[in-house]
Amino acid sequence: MATISFDLVSPENLVFNDEVGTIIVPGKDGDLGILPGHSKVMSSLRPGRVMVYSEDKNLIKSFFVSGGFAEINPEKCIVLAESVVEVNSLEKTSIEKEIQELENKDGKESEEQLSVAKAKLEAINVNYYDKI
Amino acid sequence: MPSLKDIKTQINSVGSTKKITSAMKMVAASKLRRSQEKAEAARPYSSRLEEMLSSLASSAASGEGIIKLLTGTGNDQNYIVVPVSADRGLCGGFNSSINRETFKLVKSLEGNGKKVQLMPVGKKSRDFFNRVMKDQIIESFVDLNVSSTGYESALNISNKLQELYFEGKFDKCILVFNKFKSAISQEVTQQQLIPLDVSNSEKEEEKDNSSNAIYDYEPDEETILKDLLPKNVSIQIFKVLLESDAGEQGARMAAMDNATRNAGEMIDSLTLKYNRTRQAFITKELIEIISGAESI
Repeated sequence: MATISFDLVSPENLVFNDEVGTIIVPGKDGDLGILPGHSKVMSSLRPGRVMVYSEDKNLIKSFFVSGGFAEINPEKCIVLAESVVEVNSLEKTSIEKEIQELENKDGKESEEQLSVAKAKLEAINVNYYDKI
Repeated sequence: MPSLKDIKTQINSVGSTKKITSAMKMVAASKLRRSQEKAEAARPYSSRLEEMLSSLASSAASGEGIIKLLTGTGNDQNYIVVPVSADRGLCGGFNSSINRETFKLVKSLEGNGKKVQLMPVGKKSRDFFNRVMKDQIIESFVDLNVSSTGYESALNISNKLQELYFEGKFDKCILVFNKFKSAISQEVTQQQLIPLDVSNSEKEEEKDNSSNAIYDYEPDEETILKDLLPKNVSIQIFKVLLESDAGEQGARMAAMDNATRNAGEMIDSLTLKYNRTRQAFITKELIEIISGAESI
């Protein structure tokens, strides 16, 4: 089976770069599953999980991104994310605390932060896409 | 003639200065390496973003809202100048060249009848412009510490700039910063940040037109562009901050290297002077003894 090269880039560094089998990215209008040979797409992302699978469909890694862009062509998929964390390293209690704090604040900025934090919590709790 | 003791103290004090400068040089050298790595690590993101932007830029019709970051306000009257300096001194002409260049730029813009405001980044430029054009400063950012705080610091600046821009406070934003050329040389550079200067990326676009086949856009081009433009402003600022940080360390390393060498030379010449003086004293004392013995 073919592979597709996948780059996950944050402003500070190159987080992930390897040949993989499948990638699922959280597109703004819905999740995108990317297989080798995907047509050319440019999409903006919502906060959510970027899942990376090996050729035989085993989950290699899952990251949480707070938004960004994906550029996809048949050989390569590039995700530019503003902040990237591995889902495994997220801590539930600290995020819940953050959400509580943010809920008491108003303003546009904290609203955005709140939606990111909520998406983080969801990323920990859900387990669909773990097996494909 | 200075006494032997005076010269000895002088040698000692120059010696300790030399120790300090050589330690600072070493620190700067190791920081330089780290800053350079940081700057390099940030490169893939900014270059990808630029590529995306250049392929999208052509699709932007003149519009309202966020698209203004690309198309401009249509005016050319109010400028905001952002000098990016270091927080600390002792790095040669690094800060003063930024301040000088910014000062010149502001004066020449004002000479053309434009209104100029300042938003200094870094203590050294803030202090300088606090002295010379205090009333034109609208905001200043100090103690950024890019190498440890990272992208956040750039976001703060970018958010403030965009807020002011959409309030209609200025039409053009120009960054003045030290571009990192090599470890020992920096170049003072001006970069127009808002509206985005696409002339450079257009050239690139022509180059790889062949690979620039048609993409599908999700949700659509305009929405992506609206997301992309503010991010591009932040990332450009981030890039500039990192370059300036690397430049600062390089400049400090060079300055401290020079200082160490000068101190070494000074110690040599002082030691020579010390020995000469010592010899002169001995000769004088001998002459006194001999002439005293002769007179008896």
